[in-house]
Amino acid sequence: MEFAELIKTPRVDGVVLHRPFMPTVEGTLCLTGHHLILSSRQDNTEELWLLHSNIDSIEKRFLGSLGTIIVKCKDLRMIQLDIPGMEECLNIGSSIEALSTLDSVSLMYPYFYRPMFEVIEDGWKSFLPEDAFKDLEAMTDEWRLSEVNRDFRVCTTYPPLVAVPRDVDDDTLRKAAGFRHGGRFPVLSYYHKKNGMVMMRSGQPLTGTNGRRCKEDERLINATLRPGKRGYVIDTRTISVAQQAKARGGGFETEANYPQWRRIHKAIERSNVLQDSLVKLVEACNDQSHSMDRWLSKLEASNWQTHVKEILTTACLAAQCIDREGASVLVHGTEGTDSTLQVTSLAQIILDPACRTIQGFQGLVEREWLQAGHPFGQRCSMSAYSNSKPRHEAPGFLLFLDCVWQVLRQFPCSFQFTEQLLVLLFEHAYASQFGTFLGNSAAERVRLSLPEKTVSLWSWVNRPQEIDHLSNPLYEPNSLVIWPSVAPQSLLLWEGVFLRWNRSPRCQEEAREETVHIIEHNKELQNKVNSLRRQLAQLETQEPPLQTP
Amino acid sequence: MEFSEHIRTANVENVVLRQPFHPSTKGTLCITGHHLIFSDRESQSCRQVLLLLRNIDAIEKSVENLLGNSGLLCSARWKERAPGPSSGTLTIKCKDLCVFQLDIPGMEQCLNIAHSIEALSSMDEVADMYPFFHRPHDASLQDQWGLSSPQHQYHQMEALQRGRWRLSSVNGDHTVCPSYPPTVLVPRAISDKALLKAARFRQAGRFPVLCYHHRKNGKVIMRSSQPLTGANRKRCQEDELLLQAVIDGSDKGYIIDTRSSQQAQQARMTAGGGFESKSSYPGWTRLHRQMEKGKALQESLIKVVEACGDQTNNMDRWLSKLENSKWLYHVQTALSTAGLLAECVERDGHSVLVHGSEGTDCTLLISTLAQLIMDPACRTLEGFLTLLEREWVQGGHPFQQRCARSAHSHARLQQEAPVFLLLLDCAWQLWYQFPLALGFSENLLLRLATEAYASDYGTFLCNSDRERCAIGVKEKTHCLFQALLKPEERGLYSNPLYESTELAIWPSVHPQSLQLWRGFFLRWSQQGRHLEEAHDEMRNMICQWGRLAVR
Repeated sequence: MEFAELIKTPRVDGVVLHRPFMPTVEGTLCLTGHHLILSSRQDNTEELWLLHSNIDSIEKRFLGSLGTIIVKCKDLRMIQLDIPGMEECLNIGSSIEALSTLDSVSLMYPYFYRPMFEVIEDGWKSFLPEDAFKDLEAMTDEWRLSEVNRDFRVCTTYPPLVAVPRDVDDDTLRKAAGFRHGGRFPVLSYYHKKNGMVMMRSGQPLTGTNGRRCKEDERLINATLRPGKRGYVIDTRTISVAQQAKARGGGFETEANYPQWRRIHKAIERSNVLQDSLVKLVEACNDQSHSMDRWLSKLEASNWQTHVKEILTTACLAAQCIDREGASVLVHGTEGTDSTLQVTSLAQIILDPACRTIQGFQGLVEREWLQAGHPFGQRCSMSAYSNSKPRHEAPGFLLFLDCVWQVLRQFPCSFQFTEQLLVLLFEHAYASQFGTFLGNSAAERVRLSLPEKTVSLWSWVNRPQEIDHLSNPLYEPNSLVIWPSVAPQSLLLWEGVFLRWNRSPRCQEEAREETVHIIEHNKELQNKVNSLRRQLAQLETQEPPLQTP
Repeated sequence: MEFSEHIRTANVENVVLRQPFHPSTKGTLCITGHHLIFSDRESQSCRQVLLLLRNIDAIEKSVENLLGNSGLLCSARWKERAPGPSSGTLTIKCKDLCVFQLDIPGMEQCLNIAHSIEALSSMDEVADMYPFFHRPHDASLQDQWGLSSPQHQYHQMEALQRGRWRLSSVNGDHTVCPSYPPTVLVPRAISDKALLKAARFRQAGRFPVLCYHHRKNGKVIMRSSQPLTGANRKRCQEDELLLQAVIDGSDKGYIIDTRSSQQAQQARMTAGGGFESKSSYPGWTRLHRQMEKGKALQESLIKVVEACGDQTNNMDRWLSKLENSKWLYHVQTALSTAGLLAECVERDGHSVLVHGSEGTDCTLLISTLAQLIMDPACRTLEGFLTLLEREWVQGGHPFQQRCARSAHSHARLQQEAPVFLLLLDCAWQLWYQFPLALGFSENLLLRLATEAYASDYGTFLCNSDRERCAIGVKEKTHCLFQALLKPEERGLYSNPLYESTELAIWPSVHPQSLQLWRGFFLRWSQQGRHLEEAHDEMRNMICQWGRLAVR
């Protein structure tokens, strides 16, 4: 087996582990193909099990013969290992480096992981497009499921089944696909039950410099409009970026060819800028200089909060067009696999109460991110500590989670889940024992046989005990559209992720437990009152009139 | 009565009120000696707005015609009654940071109203203020005023440390130190005569007195003002003996000076002030920690409030304005100096004397915070209010001067400084970092922030105990702290999650851990509302729980 070749020193004794807010532990360090394990051999609670794939980078330091390895994880945690012996330390260091950067997907841990829990419901089958379509069918007959992409040939990043207007046939779709970046022809993303308006998403149209047009594409998106109504195209790029894209064969929908559509340009940044911003933000958060001015200027310079604000603003705009203006919307940027998905998924959080439940939110992530072709494998292969030059890395999904957190914080009673679910998704998107976030598209997931060979994250999340843990005790279903404030003053730094390891989590956890406790007690008492009332009512009816004269 | 002279127009009909989160409404505006009253007669709900004129920080007049800006104003009926430009808009900016608008028909009426508000809201005469007229139906002037007394504190302590401390009435008639209460706690070994001399050696007579006794190790926090050593290094044997008696002769003590050593030097050379030199106070080690006060703090408050009201919707601008305001920097300094003080007492086991120059601002700020950090008894609702009463009201913080104006005022700054507000902010940071450890809620801090600037109660009137006695505050007004502890108010001001802990709560003072107090600074903006809903939800649950448990 090839892992063994990479492990030069499988175990070292007398290693000291330092972790934030935990006592130091001395024990034996073991390297396996997928894990870095430290065991004190005294009681099992103090053990460290760290996935190699969670390691973003390491740093080695030497003081005499004592080596120190600082392990920087993708979930932004930093741990320190003091390893006696220079050679052992170097060996461990290079083994970790090799094992944490394995490229081959099929060597990843999810292929080796066997669940220690009983799978009640197979997560791979929990959110199938055909099931989602059944809900849509109950509301309208204007849409159909098309199998045009059955073998992933029309669009490599789309799932085999997509929802399109009923009156548009598969041939039209094929031609429209030829006119869109990556073959991503406009498909249904969301149907607004209240007024029948829809949100669609796609890649940019390939108009090029000579203004190519495609009748089928025009017919396709016009088919979603009610007679006499206009729609909005939300382009997540600025007008100048969209203009420049023409030179590379891309472009945008011109007024001349799409007279029924009004185009709005927004400015959501693209991958490398976002990655850069993440690196700066995390650096600022780890700054130990204790200076308030420095912290605030570094936070500002990272621009992270600006990105959060831009994305939320654009999502609000899309939601506004649908709910307030009563118009249908098409969202795209360039490829339509990053900022587009941020906007369409956040707009649904705002508009659709179903997306704010635990199951509904998983469904949203599955539908709008995994099925919709966000290239998780590329985007999440490195996080904020990596030293290598970023290629396709970008924290687009993390930004989405951050935006959801902002909305959740502003509407603490409207979400069935807590921040914990968001943190969990962040962790698993970057490193996981589950196969859910492996690969870059539905096609890749089929090719890699992920559903057959790995366990789905949803299988684990949807067990009663895990659901309990993620439930928001303050939840009260709210069927309204929730409009978040996007004023800069209203947006906060997401401490639960970015300052998670700088601050003891104890107090917040205690507060949560106490809240849960109070609410449970409240329920119990209410039940008791109800049963006493019933008893009383029974006694009142049974009691014969015993009054004596 | 002199109020009426200022009221040229008492009543105006058809005034439109525009307030955040409420639809604009039309109604009648009425100015009385102490209140601005708006009653909305049109809707069934009959909304009334009652605002203390004292709460108004600034008022802006604009006589331009705002027809068309507001939907309500567009009705044809309205145009007939108030034709064209003869109407004005008053923007009222309150000390609790709320801002609202009144559209008043008739230019002259508008100017009259503005004039009345300006005159009445800046009346200086304490005896004319509303607390002297406020007579709630559920309270009597014979009710107990205040929560505690130095006697009470003494009896608690006496049980623990027999014989080391005594109650002195040397200030019985407020002549020794106008800003101290009549009785103070001092070392038993020091006679009243010696205290008199020590008082003459300290600015404004604030000789070192006991403010906190740490049960765990018997160490204490003392506070005073700066010693008046002056350029020729004057000494005072009684003052030295007093401090010596605090540390029992053998032990070591710390002096935390809230000025930098440079500032302290300067005070000595130019202003007749000074600091305790090593040679005269051999048992004591001086630590200097520079804390801003006065004007710098007030300007910081003005800037942070301005930043919060910025409507440009630009993230960079917001963050740099927040940084420039320096408010969070002041929060950090206050908390870390208080942390240092608590560390000296709790971890190192030494007694500490705190002072700056006057000893009525930063001194009180950090002695209060240190007690919150160390003493579980200060963290309950009663305990916290008692602490505030002891350290701030009896401790001689000049509330009337400091809270005369808030962040919106255009008036030239005199003695204003938001020191008390900074304390509330720091208390909120503690509450945020330790959600279970404090028995009071954010609501209490918000209420106190409002009451300190404008109140129905007499608690925060005047600048010192002497002034309060002179005009009979305790006889003629009601006490805020007693009112907050009434059973019907308690629920609102208690923390439902409270679980007392005996441990000290050490706050993190990393810049990353400190937050803008949004509940206060952004209270009137969009996002605060939903958080309030969540808190309401929790409070309802607790109340329901309470009721069910009683049944």
